[in-house]
Formats: sequence, structure tokens, C-alpha cells
Amino acid sequence: MTGLALRTIRPRADADRLFIFAIAAGAALLLVLFVLAPIWAILRFSFVAPDGSIGLDNYVSYFTSARFLGILGNTFEVTIAVTLFTVALAYGFAYAIERTCMPLKRVLRMIALIPIFSPSLVQAIGLQFLLGRNGLINRTFGTELDIYGFWGIFIADTLYAFPHAFLILATALAVSDARLYESATSLGASSARVFWTVTLPATRYGIASATFVVFAIVITDFGNPVVIGGNYSVLAVEIYNQVSGQANFSMGAVVGVILLLPAALAVFAEKWIARRQFASVTAQSVPLVPKPEPARDRLWFLYSAAIAAAILIVVGVVVYASFVRLWPYNLSFTLHHYAFDVQNGIEPLWTSIYVAVITAVLGMIVVTAAAYANHHVQNRPMRLFYFLAILPAAVPGMVLGLGYVLAFNDPANPVYAIYGTMLIIAICNLYHYHAQGFLLATTNMKQISRAFDEASATLGASRLTTFRRITLPLIWPTIISVGVFYFMRAMVTLSAVIFLITPVTQLASVSVLYLDERGALNQAAAFAACIMASVVVFLIAAQLLLRIAGIRGITLVR
Amino acid sequence: MLLSLKKVTRRFSGVVAVDRVELEVGEGEFVCFLGPSGCGKTTLLRLIAGLETLDEGAIELRGRDLGMLPARKRNFGVVFQSYSLFPNLTVARNIAYGLECRKLPRAEIAARTGEMLELVHLSEHASKHPHELSGGMQQRVALARALAPQPEVLLLDEPLSALDAKVREALRGEIRELQKRLGITTIMVTHDQDEAMEMADRIVVMNRGRIDQVGSADELYWRPATRFVGEFIGRLNVLDGAPWQGRLDGEAAGAGEVLAIRPEHVRIVDDGGGGEPVFEGIVRRTAFLGNMTRILVETEGNALEIEVHGARKRLAQGELLRFELPRARLSRLGAASR
Repeated sequence: MTGLALRTIRPRADADRLFIFAIAAGAALLLVLFVLAPIWAILRFSFVAPDGSIGLDNYVSYFTSARFLGILGNTFEVTIAVTLFTVALAYGFAYAIERTCMPLKRVLRMIALIPIFSPSLVQAIGLQFLLGRNGLINRTFGTELDIYGFWGIFIADTLYAFPHAFLILATALAVSDARLYESATSLGASSARVFWTVTLPATRYGIASATFVVFAIVITDFGNPVVIGGNYSVLAVEIYNQVSGQANFSMGAVVGVILLLPAALAVFAEKWIARRQFASVTAQSVPLVPKPEPARDRLWFLYSAAIAAAILIVVGVVVYASFVRLWPYNLSFTLHHYAFDVQNGIEPLWTSIYVAVITAVLGMIVVTAAAYANHHVQNRPMRLFYFLAILPAAVPGMVLGLGYVLAFNDPANPVYAIYGTMLIIAICNLYHYHAQGFLLATTNMKQISRAFDEASATLGASRLTTFRRITLPLIWPTIISVGVFYFMRAMVTLSAVIFLITPVTQLASVSVLYLDERGALNQAAAFAACIMASVVVFLIAAQLLLRIAGIRGITLVR
Repeated sequence: MLLSLKKVTRRFSGVVAVDRVELEVGEGEFVCFLGPSGCGKTTLLRLIAGLETLDEGAIELRGRDLGMLPARKRNFGVVFQSYSLFPNLTVARNIAYGLECRKLPRAEIAARTGEMLELVHLSEHASKHPHELSGGMQQRVALARALAPQPEVLLLDEPLSALDAKVREALRGEIRELQKRLGITTIMVTHDQDEAMEMADRIVVMNRGRIDQVGSADELYWRPATRFVGEFIGRLNVLDGAPWQGRLDGEAAGAGEVLAIRPEHVRIVDDGGGGEPVFEGIVRRTAFLGNMTRILVETEGNALEIEVHGARKRLAQGELLRFELPRARLSRLGAASR
């Protein structure tokens, strides 16, 4: 061959490369602006002392204050207690659902998921109705049980985190290899021994995963502890107290950073574990089908029914209380609390729905673009992109919300133009739950054979054409479920948005909190019921839409 | 030459998948890339299609360098192993896809699509979706879709390997016939030697990213250039053990070469023999395969395979067998790949 040097070939820029570059750059820019900048702002602020100097003063005063150290201790105490208890409880429940032949599995499964549809403070309000100073129990039996504090948070957050642990553990228990169980029993192992030597080891990743997820949920939860924590203060509530109570943004930032660390560790530990999960089940595995054992099934049914009853009662009492005149003194039926003649009236519910719709629409676009860029560009910078895309999972809502205040409540920042609007709330929601939406879309794109892209390219299609005509029609059910997920989260979230609302952009979940703080418990209950109803109606509508379009097998509840 | 590959090289994180491949493909030719999995044949095809980027070298179409041209601008039709039909589009829309990307007038698209449907005998399935068709039908649609925009070259990436044996045989003939009728230059990747030998004008045998030999099916069978080619195409006894070497001294192989013989050329000696070197071995295994019997014999610890055609009395295990290795049938092969 004539003088053909062995040179390295660089691809030339063309419309396709520009298209993918524009999408990746756009998505990355938004992530930097709405994820990295707020986190950076909170880190920076935590080093600004009250006198304006930069240093570790805030941290020194935090770690030398007995009160702050107490809060740190409380937070870990209640979080670890709830985590251990919830995972154990949920493991039993998931085991009963996946590995026994007890009756009413579908119903029990649905009840277990109820807390996902409600703002996190609903459990606490339900507990107030039942066990509060003027709760059903104390009034009926004349007892003086005090639920406010550790036990209140413990019960409320256990119920709140339960469905998340259950979903992970059910998935882990659902995949199993019957051959292992057959060999174990044929070797003469007792059922207890089979459990310890086969079941438990096979689900250890699921258990670890659920543990970290519950830990992160509980340590960052704001709604339940603010309502039922009493004097037992935790970090998430303390951020709120520092910022909204004392306008001490620097201290709020310090508490935020201290909360960020364990939450982030838990989330990244979970991601690390999730990557090695389920590798043990191969294509040749034979699924295990549980066989009926009446005595055992009855016991598991009792266990599961008790948990379902607890979940149902706590939520049910909130709905019930919204229809009675004055809980618990006058239980006569009334629709009076649904008149919403306080504060902004019903307005916050509409604002919430409006914000949730904006969140869902923007979320579908942004998450799809981010997942598309991540799927089609594979180079070193994209690993950073991926990290940024899932980073929000590690950032507690309170921290992100405060970060938005610190970063954007500044006329010099271009985002200030939308500060105080519903749009910034929607964007905050979008990025607060970006990781989950992004992972949903990414997983789906991975399932679409690369051969489609390649076939399309060899037929002369540009990337845009391929996306429009092939990719989009294949992934739209997942995009819809991303939208549904965003709508649900936006309706019930409290933590991130609490710093961003203004009197005109007040949200329903915040109204519930305010009404509760003012002692208007029945109205708070009515508002909470409205939120749950909106979510359920929306879910049913989305499910119907998918059914009409002939799409099955899309899970809308996550 | 229509297509020229010059020092084509592709590395994946340090491993060389395709190593300085040189090849010329003529107009209307049917070329097969044949080799075991991991030999780089699919990567080479993808490089030609523009689905992988070259690290070094050049690919030229009629003397024009394609190196940096993206797949969508090459006008090469590609058929993938499986599942590459767009599941959301009907058969007709799948076939029309490439034409629509070229923004042809509607009437022309419809006419061409109809023509292609007829070509692959699927006119009555035009409005079905891919999942409603059998695997063989799906691959015919994929073929029609790739051919519709009148590509310069047709590239087939193991198009038959996901199909049942029966369908595979039928499609082999159909593809070859279509290719001849349209006179389209075609490159097919396969790991199936029968497929390559039946369909191709020329076979390119690849091993570890490099081309071992290029030639027609007979050339490769009768005159393999390397031990690898000989062993990959058909069966081969490599005579590198002590008993053979001692007796076949006159035929001694040069440095880096080995002597070999195909199993069907070993002759069982029932009488005195024909003056060729005669050996004795013990029958270790026999396999009756209908039109032939395959016998494994052992001579002083060295195994040798013999194929006998036609009826023969059954040989028992452990029986002593005399056979000769005709000198004219011995071949000398490069021990290593080139």
C-alpha cells in the first residue's frame, strides 16, 4: 500500500454529533445550575460566620453545643431504630406475599403501598388523632399516653418508610431458584435451616439495599417529626427551625451539611449494592412457586393483616376525622371542614395540582433528554454527568430547598427571575426526584436493543429522526410513568418546597402542616384527604389511559 | 474495485479486534467473512457499515475514502442478526423507512415498497407488525428494508444464525438467488462454514483480527494456507506426533509447517496396501452417521480420524485396523496464522 500512514482517525462534526452534544450539554447545564449550584451554596454558607468572616466557626459552635449534639444523637437514635424495625417488619410482610399461599395477597399489597400516596405528615397526624393528648385512646380510656417524641416519630416513620422497604424486599424475594430449594429439602434440611441457608443469603443484597433506603428516608424525613416530634428534635426539623424560626441561614446550612453526609453515604451505599444485586439468578433458574400450607399461611396472614390494619387505621382515621365535627368530642358527620374557610381556602390545592402538572411535564422532557444523552454518549465526562443525575437522591429535601433559597434568592443570579414563582417550585421538585426518574428512563432505554439505532442509522436516518420515529414510540409508556411519578411526588412533598413557597404559591401539603400547627386538626385532615384523593384520581386516570392505549405491564407506583 | 479495505484496524481498550486488514471486493461479488466468535469478523463488518469508527487505515468505495462518513450517509444496506425490525412500525413502514429518510416522493416510496414486498414474497403481510411474523419472515422483511434504498453494498451480520435449521437452509438459497438477480455486492458475516461455502463467491477466513486466507470454497478446502484454515473448514488430522513423523520422513515439513491429512483421505487397508505408508491402530470409537462412518483410531498414543463412505462391516472397539496415508493427499500447512 502506498504511503498510507497509520494515523489515528478523528470523526468529523456533523448534524448528528451536534444534536447529541446539544442535548448532553443542555441537560448537564441544568444539572449544574439546579443541583450543583444549590449544594455549593449551602456548603459555602455553612462556612460564613455570623460576623461575616469565613471559617469553621459555625461548625465549632455546632459541635460544642449540647443542644445540637443532642439533636444529632436523637436523629441517629430514631433513624437506626426505625430502620432496623422497618426492614425486619417489611421482610416478614414481603416474605408472606411472595413465598406463602395466604389469602388476599393483592389487597394486602395495595394497602402496604398507601403511605406512598400521602404526604409524610399524614402518619403523624393520624397518630395524633389516635394517641395524641386529645386522641381516641386517651379520651376513651382516660389514660395519659404521651406520643410526642421518640415513639411518635418511631411509629409514624415506620409506617411511612414501610412501603419502600417492602417494594425492595418483595423484588428480592420474588426472584428465586426453585432448584436450590429442592436440593436443600432433598438433602434433608428443615424449613428453618432452608431459610437460614438459602432464603436469607439469596436476599442479602435486598436487605442491605432496603436498609440504606429506609435509613435515607427516615433521616431526611421532615413531615412526621415536625408534627409529632414534640421536644425530641431531629436534624431535618432543626434546619426548618433555624431558617424559618430564627432566620439563621448559616446555622441552617451547617445542619444541612451535617444531614447531607449520612444521607448521601446511605444512598451511595445502596447504589453500590444495587449494582451487584440479582446476579445469582440466571436464565436457567426455575421460579419457586409457593405450596399451600394452611397452618403456616394462616399465621403469616395474621401477621400481614396486623401490619395492613395499622397502616389502614392511621390513614383511615385522618380521612374519618376530616368528616366529623370536632375530633374526638363530637363525631357527628359534617362536610364543614371541606369548606376551607381558613387561610387561602382551597387555593393551595389547586396550586399544588398546577405545580404537580408543571413538574410532571417538565420532568418527562428533562429526564428523557438526560437519559438519552447518557445512553448515547459514552465517554469520561459522561460519568460525571451520570453522577450529577443521580446525586439528588443523596440530597435531603430540606437541604436542596435551603440550597435553592441560598443560591437563587439573589437578584444577581439569573434564576432570580423565576424566584417566588410556581416554576421554581416545580424545578425544585424535578431535581429533588431527578435520580428516580432518570434511572427509570435509563433502564428502559437500555432494554431497547441498540440494533434499532444502528438499523435506523444504516437506513439513512439522523439521530433526531430515529428518536422521533423509533425511540420515542417505544419508550413513551415509561415516560408516562415518569410523569405520574413526578405528579405524585410533587403533590405530597413537603420538605424541599417548604422554603420556596410564598403566600401566593402556597402548596397543599404545606397547608396541612400550617393547619396542624394552628391546632385546626380537622381541617388539616380534610386537606390531607384532598391531596390523597387527587393522587389516586390521577393514578387511576393514567392507568386508564395506558389501558386504552393497549399498554400493559407498566408499574405506575414506585 | 468497488470496495477496498486498507490496513483497517480497530482496537477495544487495548485489544486489537481488527488488525491491519487488507481486502478488495469487486462489483457484484458475494463475500463471506468466516471465523470463530471473537475473530473480529463482525467488527470488520461494522467498520465497513460505519457503525464503528476506524482507529487506523482506510475504507474506500470506488476510491473515495469513507473513513469519516457516518453510517447514515454511506448508503449501505445492513441486515442484523435478529430483532432489528422496528417493532412499532408495520412491515410496509419498516421497508419504507429508508426511503422516507431520503425524502423521496410519496408515490415513489409506495411503489418501491410494494416492489420490495413482492421480491421477498410478503405482499400479503404488509400491514402486520414484526412480532406477528415468524423469524424467517422477519429476516426477509429486514432484507427488503435494507435493499429498498438501493444500497451500494449489502452487509449481512449473521443474518441466519437466530433461525431454525430448516428456515436457515431455505433462506440461504433465497438470499443467494436474490443477490445474483440484483447483482448487488454483498458481504456476509458467519461462523457457519457450510453457510459460507454454499453462498459465497469468495470466503475470507479470519482468525484473531487478521485474515488467514481468502479464496473460493474449493481453494480453501483443497489448499488451506494455514493449519487454522484447514481445521476450521472441514475436519483435519494434523500429523505432528512421533509415529507419523518417523514414517513420513520423506515428506518432512519445513520449519513452522505441519503435515496434515483430511479424514476422508485416509484409506483403510484390507489387503496388502498400495505402496503408501501403512500404519496400525486400535479402534477407539466409531460413529455411524448414515452416509458415512467416522472412526477414531489410536496409534502409539496418537489419535487419528478416518471417514469411510458407503456400507462397511462394523468395527468393534479395540479391534486392530490397518490404514495408509497416501502421500499425494498430505498437505503442508503453516503452523501459525499469518
